Amino acid sequence: MTSPTLTVAASTHGATKIYGKDDSVVYALNDVSVDFYSGQFTAIMGPSGSGKSTLMHCIAGLDELTEGSAIIDGEDLSKMSDKNLTELRREKIGFIFQSFNLVPTLTADENIRLPLLLGNKKGNEEWIQRVIDTVHLQDRLTHRPSELSGGQQQRVAVARALASEPRIILADEPTGNLDSTTGGEILSFMRMAVDQLDQTIVMVTHDPVAAAYADRIVFLADGKVVSEMLEPTAEKVLDRMKSLGN
Amino acid sequence: MFRIALKSILGRKARLVLTSLAVILGTAFLSGTSIFSATLDRTFNNLFQDVFANIDGYVRSTEVVEGDFGLIERQRIPAETVQKVLAVPGVADAVPDIQAFARIVGKDGKPIGAEGAGPPTFGSVAVEFKGALWTIAEGKFPSGPKEVALDESSAEKAGYVVGDTVKVIAQAGSREFTLVGIASYGDVRSPGGATFALFDVPTAAEFLGKPGFVDAILVVGDGTRTDEALANEIDKIFDPSAKVETLTGAEITKETQDDIGEALSFFSIFLSIFSVIALGVGSFVIYNVFSISAAQRQRENALLRALGASRSQITRSMLIESVVVGLFGSIAGFIGGIGISKLLGVALPALGFDLPSGGLVVTQSAVITTIFVGLLVTVLSAILPARRAGKVPPLAAMRATALETTGKGTKQLLIGLGFIAVGIAIVGAVIGGADNNYLGLGIVGVFVGTIVIGPNVARPVALFLGRPAAALRGVTGTMARQNAARNPKRTSRTSSPVLIGVALVTAVSALAASINGQISDIFTEQFKGDYAISVSAQGFGGLSPSLANDIGKIDGVKNATGIGTALAKIDNKGRTLTVISPDTIEGNYDIGLINASYSSLDKDGIFISRSLAERDNLSVGSVITVVLGDAVPRDLTVRALYEHDDLAGNRVISRETFAGTTVSSFDFGIYINLEDGAENTAVRAALQKAVDDYGQGKLLSRDEYIDEQAGQVNQLLGLIYGLLFLSVIIAIVGIIITLLLSVFERQRELGLLRAVGMTRKQVRTTVRWESVITSLLGAVTGIILGIGLGWVIVFALRDQGLSSFQIPIGTTIFIMVMSFFVGLIAAIYPAWRATKVDILSALNTN
Repeated sequence: MTSPTLTVAASTHGATKIYGKDDSVVYALNDVSVDFYSGQFTAIMGPSGSGKSTLMHCIAGLDELTEGSAIIDGEDLSKMSDKNLTELRREKIGFIFQSFNLVPTLTADENIRLPLLLGNKKGNEEWIQRVIDTVHLQDRLTHRPSELSGGQQQRVAVARALASEPRIILADEPTGNLDSTTGGEILSFMRMAVDQLDQTIVMVTHDPVAAAYADRIVFLADGKVVSEMLEPTAEKVLDRMKSLGN
Repeated sequence: MFRIALKSILGRKARLVLTSLAVILGTAFLSGTSIFSATLDRTFNNLFQDVFANIDGYVRSTEVVEGDFGLIERQRIPAETVQKVLAVPGVADAVPDIQAFARIVGKDGKPIGAEGAGPPTFGSVAVEFKGALWTIAEGKFPSGPKEVALDESSAEKAGYVVGDTVKVIAQAGSREFTLVGIASYGDVRSPGGATFALFDVPTAAEFLGKPGFVDAILVVGDGTRTDEALANEIDKIFDPSAKVETLTGAEITKETQDDIGEALSFFSIFLSIFSVIALGVGSFVIYNVFSISAAQRQRENALLRALGASRSQITRSMLIESVVVGLFGSIAGFIGGIGISKLLGVALPALGFDLPSGGLVVTQSAVITTIFVGLLVTVLSAILPARRAGKVPPLAAMRATALETTGKGTKQLLIGLGFIAVGIAIVGAVIGGADNNYLGLGIVGVFVGTIVIGPNVARPVALFLGRPAAALRGVTGTMARQNAARNPKRTSRTSSPVLIGVALVTAVSALAASINGQISDIFTEQFKGDYAISVSAQGFGGLSPSLANDIGKIDGVKNATGIGTALAKIDNKGRTLTVISPDTIEGNYDIGLINASYSSLDKDGIFISRSLAERDNLSVGSVITVVLGDAVPRDLTVRALYEHDDLAGNRVISRETFAGTTVSSFDFGIYINLEDGAENTAVRAALQKAVDDYGQGKLLSRDEYIDEQAGQVNQLLGLIYGLLFLSVIIAIVGIIITLLLSVFERQRELGLLRAVGMTRKQVRTTVRWESVITSLLGAVTGIILGIGLGWVIVFALRDQGLSSFQIPIGTTIFIMVMSFFVGLIAAIYPAWRATKVDILSALNTN
């Protein structure tokens, strides 16, 4: 997969995030420089407290770096105002969270189109239909989240992340709240989005099975990138995790 | 459990403050008005104590004629009585007192003081005397027919200084005097904002009333005996048939204090009605806050239940919280009340009521009442939510969502519809002929029912009202609309204060509009002249009868007739009679005489209305004994019956009946007919000049006069605006509290929205529109209810002559616009809070 034609969708340079002051400083991220490539499915793994969620939040512009920079599509997030960051999230980033992904008062269809609606944009209708077809939601569009199963809700979240044709999709433990069958289904959709719809996905997970769906895994420990793996399998990941744990 | 309750309160200070806010609002009005009333009472008591300090005796007539609306006219006593009193052993000095209607005309030619609605305007006596009520602050006491003294406040208001020429209007007409003195009453510049023109005794007797008579005699003793003994001594010189009594200084002080106390109690009843409304509406807010907080703590409570807390422990813990909130809120409300009473103390003088100086009187009972009532209302409002909190199943701790149950509420719907049905049935029965007294019951039934079914109708109505928002504002509007509808119970409870306020305002203005229309119809039918001079003196004073005579002499005027009132006692009941001039009223004003002409009304005659004739079995030729203000019984013969009793009342007499007696009578209107072919503009100018020279009254064309009379109902508007203001404030506070709690509750949702690209501005828009929809929900329901209520009231008053119901379209539109802004204003802070939600922590809360 790693070929010279790869372009960088998002990256960090010397990303450092410090919590606390003076004696009790904690380095959530310690000089992390990493590139995420277009058209790839990247997983970020690491034990709790390794800084994987912080890294993702900083790439998303939801959190600020103490030092260093996070860049999406050539734009340095640290130099942007709250309004610009909001617009960036709306237009260039798709989000999939672990739970509570949907606005309870809106229908599935409205939830899928939410970033476009917020930006007062029509979007690419052909693309949106294709996304909806891909995640098999045609007959659920008028339902409210409370009328959908957990798996269906997450599929709506995936469709929403795709709907605005973002530069990058950030997923934070997207299958954490699902049983393994439904979780596998969601991961297959994400895989399909990369392979068939040419999307870029960065996913934070601690589940080796989920990580095995990725093209590439970045391992974090104590706020640092400690290793990488290409073309992972669940067994390989498990082994690497064990070695990191030691 | 008590510790847990306390910790729970302290852990959520914001909620404590929010809940208390509702309590504070209600109790602040309560304590503010009661402190203010007590203060007013005390200062007026001190004032009269002061003013009457040197008076040892007070001689006056025992004969009183009481009219409608608490008007009284005490018979006067002959002026020579003063000499008799002076001769009584133990009397050091005695001077007559006269107090009657008089108005001071300002430099701009207009009488000073508020027309009609303001404090009374008096003419009285000021003389050098040990027991004088008035002291001269500047200049000297007036003496002779050309001199006047004014109370300090009036002189200042009109810009008069000693040496100026001042025009004063009284029963005898209008005259110019030289200002020789500025007087003060006790330590105030004018008592209660009333205006006073002061004269020496002969001038007052002649100009203000009937010469040869005085209202009372002020007596100072020589110190040889007690006031009681002195009063007895004076009483001895009067034959019982003279109907004269002597009060001691203490008695007249007490009586005056009681009189003013009664007048003030009316005022404080009015104020307490407002505070009861404030408290009642505030209790909705309190109830709402406790309900929401119970819902938000559902998981916490479920956890406590799972860990072994009993239902009653959960309920009790919440009630303990309500006691703390109630105490905290009431005490804060009491302190706020002190502020409100100070505000009233500043606002009233600004409106023309000069209040005596004096510190605030904070009675113990005001403190206890405020705290007790505040506590009671808070705990009562918390009982239902607390019981509901106790009913939470321990299993709820395991559930993900902690939203309020939004069950169908079929039972509630049925109960509510039951209330409405019973209410309507009662109203229907009254319309069908049952007693009017049941109307209140029916109205309460409909109100309670509407509030009970509130949650059931809130959702569809909010969705309907939210349509424009969704259409205009896209997805933010859609979310606002859905947010307003997502928790119908909460939305309906939040809009209840708006509902109640709007319903009251709409009902009162519907009543006003209906009265307005009615009066307009009546005047159009009965007033036949071309011009009218109106004066809004309500039962006290008016235009001098001499004015109509002067106007009648103007070239081009065919006739000018004055219509006035007189108090009388008939069968020992106080009545207000209409006084006309039979020779000039013909063709000018029509009371609907039945087969008779005005000329048949002579000195010994009376006209009565057909309805009175039917009720009392009277007919032409019957004799009625009438006692006018001079206490002399007169046998008047019914000369004719008439149809229109809505303005003229039931009895009409001629001015001639009491000519040359001490009966005082003023005209409330002068009606003018022009000669055929008279040049309108020239005559109008001449009329205007006559009115200007007189110094009081407004010259109006027929149409203008009709509009003005109908418009007088708009004084009801003061009440409307008071109600509106009060309900607006409470409604805003209620909406703010609910929105804030909703914002706290929807943190995760807000975090998600912000994460996927909602800007802060869009967050604000969403909250704002939700608020507007909630407010409009209350307004729409309130208007419907208010129009119904207004119709019912107008119907109930059909015997008082109200026959046509009118919807106050202007007010209705105003209320809708207003409630839109209420929504906007209430949303400001919650919307700001919503934008401050931290995305990361919102997303991470589980």
